[in-house]
Amino acid sequence: MTDALVHLAVALPLATALLVPLARGARLARLVVAGALLTAAAAGALGVVALADHAEPARGHWYVVDAAGGVYLLVVAAIGLLSALASPGYLGPAHRGFFAEHRSRPAYYVALLAFWAVLLAVPLVDNLVVAWILVEATTAASAVLVAFSGGRLALEAGWKYLVLTTLGLTVALLGIVVLYALLASGGSVLGTLDWDAIRAGAGAIDGDAAVFALVLILAGLAAKIGWAPVHNWLPDAHSEAPPPVSALLSAALLPTVMLVAWRTLAALDPAVGRTGGALFLAFGLVSLAVAVPFLWRRLPIKRLLAYSSLEHMGVLALGIGFGTPLALAGVVIHVAGHALAKSLGFYATIPLLRRDRTLATEAPVSLNSTSPAAAGAVGLSLASLSGLPPSPLFVSEVLILAGGVAAGEIAVVAVAAALLALGFLGLAHALIEGVAGDAPREPVASRRAARRLLALTAAIGCALLALPAAAYGLIDSALVADLMRGVG
Amino acid sequence: MIAEPVLWALVGLALGLVVVRRRSAGVAVLAAQSLLLGVIAVDHAVTEHGSVPAAVAILVIRGVVLPLVLVQVIRLTREPRRVASERSALLRFVLALAVALVAIGLAPPLGLHDEAAGDAALALVVLGIAVAALRRPVVFQAIGFLVAENGVLLAGLAVSGGLPAIVELGLLVDLVLAVGVAGAFGARIHERFGTSDTSVLRSLRD
Repeated sequence: MTDALVHLAVALPLATALLVPLARGARLARLVVAGALLTAAAAGALGVVALADHAEPARGHWYVVDAAGGVYLLVVAAIGLLSALASPGYLGPAHRGFFAEHRSRPAYYVALLAFWAVLLAVPLVDNLVVAWILVEATTAASAVLVAFSGGRLALEAGWKYLVLTTLGLTVALLGIVVLYALLASGGSVLGTLDWDAIRAGAGAIDGDAAVFALVLILAGLAAKIGWAPVHNWLPDAHSEAPPPVSALLSAALLPTVMLVAWRTLAALDPAVGRTGGALFLAFGLVSLAVAVPFLWRRLPIKRLLAYSSLEHMGVLALGIGFGTPLALAGVVIHVAGHALAKSLGFYATIPLLRRDRTLATEAPVSLNSTSPAAAGAVGLSLASLSGLPPSPLFVSEVLILAGGVAAGEIAVVAVAAALLALGFLGLAHALIEGVAGDAPREPVASRRAARRLLALTAAIGCALLALPAAAYGLIDSALVADLMRGVG
Repeated sequence: MIAEPVLWALVGLALGLVVVRRRSAGVAVLAAQSLLLGVIAVDHAVTEHGSVPAAVAILVIRGVVLPLVLVQVIRLTREPRRVASERSALLRFVLALAVALVAIGLAPPLGLHDEAAGDAALALVVLGIAVAALRRPVVFQAIGFLVAENGVLLAGLAVSGGLPAIVELGLLVDLVLAVGVAGAFGARIHERFGTSDTSVLRSLRD
């Protein structure tokens, strides 16, 4: 059963992508919706199985279905489905962009589905170098999606993303080769880099060499996660990509690549000790410090959401770096809460940008006056992302900071708390100025689009309210205890 | 063990890419470096009972196919004049050499079977990043990440027993995808901006 679900979750989006060139017009949209629903059902079921059977992770030839993988699968499945469903609203009439006019729509869906398939595979793979190959494979599909519109700014963002992340991942690969050389005992065996094999061999390798390998791997993956100071592509790519792609990049890609970093840290723990956690804390604090000043600036909404991604990847790094049960419970809630809130913010920009292109380059003002539905969605997104109670991100940040205190990292917690408070004020300012306003004048979104956005806002709002309750159940739970033993 | 003159040649070719002026010459230098690495890979596969088909694939794809893709990109993106935004060749050379020497000086030994090859691999990765950072034409930036990938390939060849063939092939697939997409970007950027000089890509700032 689990084996079938694993293969269905990855094969269904790929099979749908293969069928895309054969469909046209309304059939194409129906095919993508059907493929996306089936994929989300398979991946969602697999995620539930992973969380239900977390004490004994199922293993196959190339995969492991563990608790951490289950959390990420559920997130990637949900965001992938929402992005597929939101895409027709973005695409509109075909036009010459990165692809020729007659090919633009099929090419978009092929790239989106391939990107989603690889993202679903990453949390499942049981091997560091295979995870690297998959992460690198996301670059090609996502780079063309970032540049999909074919505009000057989109080309610039896509090119920066391609070059910076490819170079970063090359550094990570060098680290993986160094680690392989430390662990391999003469033979050429792929299983040497299985998560369990790394953990088993880590106790016997030179600690300094293992730290050097980990530094290379983390520094390289940081470029893809968007951790400062190697985050330069992130605001550009998130702001120029089509909104459904921005949602996938921010809510699914970044945390999924961070899972690879987390698994590497857990596997190398016997060799690197607290140094590994300290590296995560350093990336976390620097990312927060770099992001917060931008949260205070008047930025276009998608760019503001991008800098918020930088902030939240920093928060996740802190939680993983603290590594205590409270912090890891916070990480689980934060991954889910950030994904829902951030994707809602990006989806809300679809009707806004369709009617008012100036919002692509200017900060929004009083959205409620022109688009109450979009204002509601953006408001819920920004309120949640800022950590305003009862947002699950408020709960998760409190858990992570409490976990930091439990880890004895008082100075890091103090600095992080101050930065998070400043970030909250910055986003609250954007929320008040950008969303609140006079009574509606002339709606800019169509009634149909407004109704859809309201329904999505209500659904995500309910899910966001449910997450704090889940957080209460996670504290001292067996699931977190399994995460503590190592995410593989 | 890889002979030291071969390692020097690989590093020298990477340094050449920092200064060489014409894009076509750059592709030729890259092809020479990749072919040399491909020959080493085939030699290792034969003498150490590795996967010969994987080594031949490395030789053909890295040494022939990928350079041909870049040649096609150059054909599609003819430049009316030299890219004027580049720093002087001497300055680029000094910067790249300095960064490579500092990296080798600061980094601990990589722990590979062949330490000299480890140093050369690190130098190639750093010089690849330097080529991508210091050169402006799209083709040279793509060459930069191929040089860095060549560094990783060299490190893999210096590991006792080499990397598993399935990994080598997976890396090749990723490389082909990345270069294919980079080529498509090169063509689109040239079409949109009238040049493939990436210094025109500087509008997105906060």
